[in-house]
Amino acid sequence: MGLVCSRSRRFREADAEENAQDAEIERRIELETKAEKHIQKLLLLGAGESGKSTIFKQIKLLFQTGFDEAELKSYIPVVHANVYQTIKVLHDGSKELAQNDFDSSKYVISNENQDIGEKLSEIGGRLDYPRLTKELAQEIETLWEDAAIQETYARGNELQVPDCAHYFMENLERLSDANYVPTKEDVLYARVRTTGVVEIQFSPVGENKRSGEVYRLFDVGGQRNERRKWIHLFEGVTAVIFCAAISEYDQTLYEDENKNRMMETKELFEWVLRQPCFEKTSFMLFLNKFDIFEKKVLNVPLNVCEWFKDYQPVSTGKQEIEHAYEFVKKKFEELYFQSTAPDCVDRVFKIYQATALDQKLVKKTFKLVDETLRRRNLFEAGLL
Amino acid sequence: MSVTELKERHLAATETVNSLRERLKERRLSLLDTDIAGYARSQGRSPVTFGPTDLVCCRTLQGHAGKVYSLDWTSEKNRIVSASQDGRLIVWNALTSQKTHAIKLPCAWVMTCAFSPTGQSVACGGLDSVCSLFNLNSPTDRDGNLAVSRMLSGHKGYVSSCQYVPDEDTHLITGSGDQTCVLWDITTGLRTSVFGGEFQSGHTADVLSISINGSNSRMFVSGSCDSTARLWDTRVASRAVQTFHGHQGDVNTVKFFPDGNRFGTGSDDGTCRLFDIRTGHQLQVYHRQHGDNEAAHVTSIAFSMSGRLLFAGYTNGDCYVWDTLLAKVVLNLGSLQNTHEGRISCLGLSADGSALCTGSWDTNLKIWAFGGYRRVN
Repeated sequence: MGLVCSRSRRFREADAEENAQDAEIERRIELETKAEKHIQKLLLLGAGESGKSTIFKQIKLLFQTGFDEAELKSYIPVVHANVYQTIKVLHDGSKELAQNDFDSSKYVISNENQDIGEKLSEIGGRLDYPRLTKELAQEIETLWEDAAIQETYARGNELQVPDCAHYFMENLERLSDANYVPTKEDVLYARVRTTGVVEIQFSPVGENKRSGEVYRLFDVGGQRNERRKWIHLFEGVTAVIFCAAISEYDQTLYEDENKNRMMETKELFEWVLRQPCFEKTSFMLFLNKFDIFEKKVLNVPLNVCEWFKDYQPVSTGKQEIEHAYEFVKKKFEELYFQSTAPDCVDRVFKIYQATALDQKLVKKTFKLVDETLRRRNLFEAGLL
Repeated sequence: MSVTELKERHLAATETVNSLRERLKERRLSLLDTDIAGYARSQGRSPVTFGPTDLVCCRTLQGHAGKVYSLDWTSEKNRIVSASQDGRLIVWNALTSQKTHAIKLPCAWVMTCAFSPTGQSVACGGLDSVCSLFNLNSPTDRDGNLAVSRMLSGHKGYVSSCQYVPDEDTHLITGSGDQTCVLWDITTGLRTSVFGGEFQSGHTADVLSISINGSNSRMFVSGSCDSTARLWDTRVASRAVQTFHGHQGDVNTVKFFPDGNRFGTGSDDGTCRLFDIRTGHQLQVYHRQHGDNEAAHVTSIAFSMSGRLLFAGYTNGDCYVWDTLLAKVVLNLGSLQNTHEGRISCLGLSADGSALCTGSWDTNLKIWAFGGYRRVN
């Protein structure tokens, strides 16, 4: 009898312990969920190389602690890799143009630079790159200054030449210094493919978290696969920040050279807008790379892109840039309303002109985003 | 050879491959003279009968603050681990509905979870492209959180599925959005083998699901966005043993049949299918016509202990219990009282076959038990 009693007491004690454990877990979940509710979640989306990661880095620099020396130094191999990749693309591109272009002679690299070109192209094709030495930098500079390479660079839109090409080529001497530590600007220009998902928590007002909203920004640029299989994970985010590189209207995709980048952006934006998981989500459209766009639009007509084929230039200079930008903006606006179901029309939609590399502009833009979202929160709480 | 010539040759080769694929499909169809249901009917077999009280919801597990994406039972004891959009893994006692662990994940975007065979550890993976392992016996920190005991890094896309190799806590297989599956050695944290990827016989799109053969743990099957399922032998990573065609949409879920000679699949095309690994043939399609409406996608499947029943969860909240022999729906858990209010995202059967657990986007899990003396057999 005593045995039965002691056994049932043991079970009761185990039950009590499990109940207490369950209650503690419940309490903890409740606290964590409550804390999470005050955090505004922002999702960065956009086609490849639209500037998502640059925006992300700017946020880190602007509203967080920025990059410490160790982080800056970790970008050395990235910067050097970008240099080698750039010179390889230009060298191989000039060879292809010299073979296939009707005006092929101007793409033929001078005899004295051909060996340098082959050597650098071989380095650029490796999986791991050597550190950029003064000697190598000198050779890269020599090749960069070759007339054929400059002619090739002028046709960079056809060759997947990265946006950082000119910046790094003009800074080779500094980049190859034995004691080189990347600057903030170098880090912003550095191009490394995002992997997985990265996140950052910040407050646009500054360090004093009480004085403004707290945001958590997610960059999922590293997932180059079937978006439809994971996009619903982000149902409930406060806003989607969609980056569109408006300067890429005359460029083709890295993965598919028959597909125009702007058409890809259009299709992606349309697809994201139609996702059921974003029915109540605010949309912030960043028309990015405006700095490149304003230089390009005066030389390359907008209507080379299928989506912009009805564009008519009106004048020249600053006025033309403004006109072209307004046209692109209107196209995205139309697309938004075409792709938005009638019961979703009251979701917030804002368009911002952006240059992810321009710190002041990004800061100003995020202040505007913050203002918009705060107003929306007040409206939803019935205080506006 | 110029780039233009290469492109032309590539285009021609693609056309040839596609026409061969079509011819293979036609040949395969011409050989399919019958299916399981047709044969069973001709033998006068009658379907399983199911009353509304034969399978009842006996528990609702509440606690997640976001959609439930994945669940797994322990092979012993009645414990369940679930993964949710709220960025947590919760370990439940299925008998009492109590939570025994709540693990706040370093990356909230979790898509899959699994129990180790001994029940000592849980694994999970998601958008961070990493498979994280947690030892349930290790001490918690001040906030009651468990630290990651091991991170398996190497995938270049989201981790969509993970499963421990049966009867050993030292190996695990993951499926990923990078189109590969990986066999991991947990003790070292290194990849033992990579299945697919640059190999011609690998999947050509995201891998969504894997299932290890319970009768022969060297064999596993994977389902993918390329509309195929592939059978792999862990000793031969370089090529799939067999590729199974038939689906016309992403293969979201795969599960081995209890005898290990067949496996089931569930797809975005709204069908479940049963394939035989010995003949490479499709044995049966499980599909219910919904008029003109687009068929709901199948998200998850499980077999009863004998394989006579197939449980299938759908995006519209239905959860059909199919008679695998006659390809008839004998019960829809989605139409019962006390059912889920959102899509059924995952389901699994307890090790002894006595209960079914379903997870849903409504944030809840439900345990369904067999009424009276009836068991899932």
